[in-house]
Amino acid sequence: MTSVSVASIEPYQAKDYKSDLKPIWCPGCGDFGVVQAIYRALASVGRPPHEIAFVSGIGCSSRIPGYTTAYGFNSVHGRALPIAQGIKLASPELLVLVAGGDGDGFSIGGGHVAHAVRRNMDLTYIVMDNQIYGLTKGQLSPTSPRGLRTASSSWGSLEDPVNPLLYVLGYGASFVAQGTPADMSGLAAVIEEAIRFPGFAFVNVQSPCITYGQENQQLKAQKGVLQPLASLGHDPADRLKAMALATEYGTKLYTGVFYRNPEPPPTYEAEARLRQEEGRALARPKHEILEMFRAQ
Amino acid sequence: MKDLVIGMAGSGGDGIVSAGDAMMTAAALQGWSALLTKSFGPQIRGGESSCRVRLSTEAALSSGGTLDVAVVLNWDDFLKFGSELPVDGRTTVVYDAATGVAPDKLPLPGVVPKEAIAVPIAQMAKATAGTEKAKNSVVLGLLAGWLGMQQEAFLKGIRKRFGKKSAEVVKGNEEAFKAGAQYAAEHPLREPSTLATPASMTEGKLVVDGNDMCAAAALFAGCQFFGGYPITPSSEIMQFFGREVWKYGGTMLQAEDEIAGIGAVVGASFAGKKAMTATSGPGMSLKTEMLGLATIAELPLVCVNVQRGGPSTGLPTKSEQSDLLQACFSAHGDVLRPVLAPISVADTFGITVEAFNVAEQYQTPVILLSDQEIAQRKETVDPIDTRAFQVVERRQPTAAELDKYARYATTDSGVSPISHPGMQGGNYLASGIEHNEKGAPSASGEVHARMNDKRLRKLEPLKKRRDLFLIEGDTKAPLAIVSWGSVAGVAREAAKLARQEGIDVKVLVPKLLYPVAEEIYAEFFRGVASGLVVEQSHQGQLYRVLRMFVDVPRGVVPLAQSGSVPILPAAIVERLRGLVRALQGRLVAEVEPAG
Repeated sequence: MTSVSVASIEPYQAKDYKSDLKPIWCPGCGDFGVVQAIYRALASVGRPPHEIAFVSGIGCSSRIPGYTTAYGFNSVHGRALPIAQGIKLASPELLVLVAGGDGDGFSIGGGHVAHAVRRNMDLTYIVMDNQIYGLTKGQLSPTSPRGLRTASSSWGSLEDPVNPLLYVLGYGASFVAQGTPADMSGLAAVIEEAIRFPGFAFVNVQSPCITYGQENQQLKAQKGVLQPLASLGHDPADRLKAMALATEYGTKLYTGVFYRNPEPPPTYEAEARLRQEEGRALARPKHEILEMFRAQ
Repeated sequence: MKDLVIGMAGSGGDGIVSAGDAMMTAAALQGWSALLTKSFGPQIRGGESSCRVRLSTEAALSSGGTLDVAVVLNWDDFLKFGSELPVDGRTTVVYDAATGVAPDKLPLPGVVPKEAIAVPIAQMAKATAGTEKAKNSVVLGLLAGWLGMQQEAFLKGIRKRFGKKSAEVVKGNEEAFKAGAQYAAEHPLREPSTLATPASMTEGKLVVDGNDMCAAAALFAGCQFFGGYPITPSSEIMQFFGREVWKYGGTMLQAEDEIAGIGAVVGASFAGKKAMTATSGPGMSLKTEMLGLATIAELPLVCVNVQRGGPSTGLPTKSEQSDLLQACFSAHGDVLRPVLAPISVADTFGITVEAFNVAEQYQTPVILLSDQEIAQRKETVDPIDTRAFQVVERRQPTAAELDKYARYATTDSGVSPISHPGMQGGNYLASGIEHNEKGAPSASGEVHARMNDKRLRKLEPLKKRRDLFLIEGDTKAPLAIVSWGSVAGVAREAAKLARQEGIDVKVLVPKLLYPVAEEIYAEFFRGVASGLVVEQSHQGQLYRVLRMFVDVPRGVVPLAQSGSVPILPAAIVERLRGLVRALQGRLVAEVEPAG
């Protein structure tokens, strides 16, 4: 079973994961808190930065790998998950983080999520959900609520939003959680748990956009309404209850672990290793590979 | 005869294609050079199916022209293939008597074949094997008998093919084969088509198609990851990886779409592994954004495009060379992506290895432009000494270079040492956004110009790669042919035929299509008065690309036609004759000016 290795002998601190690049986010952006929580989670897990690959797509939040000392990959819009899967399969020993915004993950890249989930590679996928397109200056996002007036919806949105939590649970994910920078220690803890989870883990982070976001989504407002699931006595092994709670996305702000599969399926890379082990004996020396085509 | 083309057609269940496969194995074991192309109707199962087998005492470079022998199990099915199975007065037509057609009333308007023979094929199958399913074994017996091929190779093939079924099935097919051979012995052809013994016997010939060869070459080159999505006619490459890659410690992913397929390849390359994807035209369109990412992030990868008729779904099972413009120019930004194309199944080995070498050496995506003809045809291939092929690895940073490592450091060659996750001290940010030497995002015009220059400069040495060009014929010849991909074989055969009738023509076959090696073409075209750029695209795409970069002599014109209908050597020779006449006319006009 693949899982993150135990903390190395040399303890790491949050600052060891912080790069020299200065974030270009707007002052007050929720993503500042998210990157801090990631530093803290990584320090707790304790893998050296060069053993971490951090992949993102495009968007404000997708700048995040550059602000860490890990091997980063700020790729193209919506495609962080496929790239991360290639990395994981090429080097299963790496700790692979994937991050991006709600547009990246649930609009342009939405088709990839279901498949990343069912392959169950040991990846941690963090979505910074702000219900708006910030980088392109304030258009509708897939999680924008119906009726929202934005730069591209002057008369109000005509669509229902995507429910990231319910989608990912519905796809069959084994680990689904939510956090917010309004609760930093809770967010760091939930990201750490996701990283340690042996399989695909999804964390939706309510990370408000200070420039184009809605007033009632800002950190101050969140602090007043967030409800830790643990305080509600929710059992994370109960998938149906998790789905029921997830339907309240957009109306309630639950934090913590919605679902954690007590018996997660094998990861793709573990299954791949079994095939490699079985196949090794059947390999020909490489320079004799064409012998398989010999007429006989 | 030194060269023989057999065409067979029947319904889906008639076993036409497996008969073709059996011919290939038998030919390889007897030392002939052989080439098998298959063609099907649009149905996935059932419907009409056909194959062409060309047997030759010398290396066959194309699937040939008119059929010497046509085998017709069913006239409706045969006629559906039209110009793919051309019949004329040189053809011996063998058909199932059960079709009820009289030998002098064949449904071939305007054609009087050399000989038409009705053989009770279905009846013989039923009598010997108890089932009409053995028709193909009867046909093999007939052909082996009439063409003078050794029967043992076929019988061995039958035992191998049906070995997993009951002894009864094996026996039935053996009997059917023998009945066919006996029939041939008792009914000799009016003009026998016995194939000459090969000049020299090569032991250990391979029988393989282009897709399998491509995938095997990739594994040989050290490819450790394949990501892709099923699409005709490239899927066999992915299927090969699905069977084989695990044995070599690698992995594959059948992705959810074309974009994810190449996305995973980009990721695997970032992680330090050689990686490949394969697709056809529509898939290439979807992969284009990722190719841009690999270019700016300077990540090696090989992207195979097995071309088919386009645009869109187009002619998904037929060959065309109409994705050259896309391969060269579909990139956004100031990009130069190397494009390589194999010219045969055998050549696919070396060109695929070369595609990985170029990708790894220059840290760039490489497009390998195969085509359906090469990818899905089988060839007998002489044993390849794989040890003669060099395999290039990417340049990794030294310990000294890892101190204050700069992933995109400026170097003389433009190639910077590349690290990968897991390498301590090599940490960097790969990105699709423009970046400076350290990998930090930058919107500076100076940085952008500098990086563009680096990314373009590093590929300049490719244009000097004479080994990626095949030149045949007298260097001073006034006539020239340029051709590429599967059609190059047809063009080379045509040139040979033309030389036999005294036409002085030389041939240039580029296997590096892009960047255009201006100097190599300039040298080739020096002194050329006229010629042809032979290719299977309506626009003449290579001709157009060459016109962009090279002073193509005015007398060099495209011989270009849309896919599916094969370009035949005879058609090229005919055009060459026309060029010769025109040249002579011009000479006469120069000597005796019109008054």
